[in-house]
Amino acid sequence: MVLKLHGALYSTCTQRVLLVCKELNLPYEFVNVNIQVGEQKDPAYMKNQPFGQVPFIDDDGFILFESRAIARYLVQKHGSPLIPVGDLKKLALFEQAASIEQADFDPYAYGYALEKIFKPAMGLQPNDAFAEQLKGTLEKKLQGYEAILGKQKYLAGEEVTLADLFHLPYGALITNALKFTGLTDSPNIARWWKDITARSSWQAVGNGA
Amino acid sequence: MTLKLFGAKTSTCTRRVAVVCKELNIPYELIPIDLPSGQHKSEEYRQKQPFGQVPVIDDNGFILFESRAICRYLVRKYGKDSDLIPADLEKEALFEQASSIEQHNFDPYAYGIATEKVFKLRRGLKGNDELAANLQETLVGKMKGYEAILENQKYLAGDTVTLADLFHLPYGTLITDGLHLDVLTATPHVSRWWKDISSRASWQAVKDGA
Repeated sequence: MVLKLHGALYSTCTQRVLLVCKELNLPYEFVNVNIQVGEQKDPAYMKNQPFGQVPFIDDDGFILFESRAIARYLVQKHGSPLIPVGDLKKLALFEQAASIEQADFDPYAYGYALEKIFKPAMGLQPNDAFAEQLKGTLEKKLQGYEAILGKQKYLAGEEVTLADLFHLPYGALITNALKFTGLTDSPNIARWWKDITARSSWQAVGNGA
Repeated sequence: MTLKLFGAKTSTCTRRVAVVCKELNIPYELIPIDLPSGQHKSEEYRQKQPFGQVPVIDDNGFILFESRAICRYLVRKYGKDSDLIPADLEKEALFEQASSIEQHNFDPYAYGIATEKVFKLRRGLKGNDELAANLQETLVGKMKGYEAILENQKYLAGDTVTLADLFHLPYGTLITDGLHLDVLTATPHVSRWWKDISSRASWQAVKDGA
C-alpha cells in the first residue's frame, strides 16, 4: 500500500516530509488536512496526532508524526546516505548537526514566523518586540553556523544530510516572506544556503507540491 | 582514556549528559567551565563549541557537542544493549517521534520559562513574567498531548524507557522542583510518568550536580 501523508500543502512541516519523499523518489498519496478550518484539532484527527499538528504518515497502518521523525524513518527504511548510519563518528556528527537545527535555528525561525506571518494570518495580534528579539537571537546563532561552514561543506561534514535539509522550510519562509537576510549575507552560510535550496527536491516542493 | 565532559556541575545540559553516563555506567571526568565569568564565550572555548555553549565531550580526541547528540553517541558506542535507543525500525521511529516531541513540544517552553525566571536573574537582568506566564500556558496545553500518549503506554516511545524520556529530566526538574510549577504533576498519567523517570537512580546521582 502506498505511503499516505496527511498534511497541508503550504505547511512548513509537511514540506519537510515532502522534500524527503522527493529525495528518496518515494511514491506517496497526499491526504489534505484542512488547517484553515482547524481540522487538525478535530478529535478524529487527534487520535493519530495528539498534539493537533500536521503532518503524520500512515505507512501501511504504521502511524508516525513529528516531521523529522518521519523523515528519519523514511531514510532508515529505504536506505540513503542522508543519515550516515554505517560510521559511529559520522553518525554522531550528523546528530550534532540535527540538534543544532532543532535547538539553535528552529525555535527562533519558527518563533519569528509565528509572530510575523502565522499570527496575522489567524487574525491575532503579533508581538513585534518579541519578534525582533527572536530575529536578533537567530542572527547571533548563525555566527556559529558561519564558523562551522567555513571548515566544511555541510553542517555534519562534507556530505549533505537530513540536518541540512531540515532547515529548508522555515529558512525559505523567513527569507522569502520576511526578507530575513541572515541566510544570505555571510559568505559561508550563503554558499551553503544556495547549495541546499537549489536541490531539485526542494525546487519541487518549495512552491507547494 | 576517561571520557572528558566539559561543562558546569549544575548546568541543565551538562546534567543531561551526566544522567546518561550514569545509566550506562560510563566513567567521566567533569572539567568545569566557569559560566559566570563567560569562559564558554571565550575564543579558546569556541574552537570546541562555536555557539559558545556547554557541554562538550572529548572522547579520546573525538570532540562532540549538543547534549542530545552526545547522549545518542554514548548509547550507540557504549550502550547498544540498553534499549535507550531501540533497535527495531518501527520502535526506533517511535523513539524519534518521542525525541522530537521533547525538542518541540516541551523544551522551547520549559527552557523559555527557565530563562525568564532563573537564568536572566542570575545575569543581573530582569525576567519577563508575562512571557513566562504565556510559555507556561502553552506548556500546560502541550501536556494534553502527553497525557493522551501516556494513558496508553508507560513511556513516551512505548513501554520501555528511552533517551526521549530522560531528555526531559533537567528542565523538568528545574520547573517542578526549582520553580514549583505543577505542569508535570497536575494530570494523572504525566505525573505517573514524571515520578517514575525522576526517581531513577541515574538522575538521583546527578540532579544536584554532574
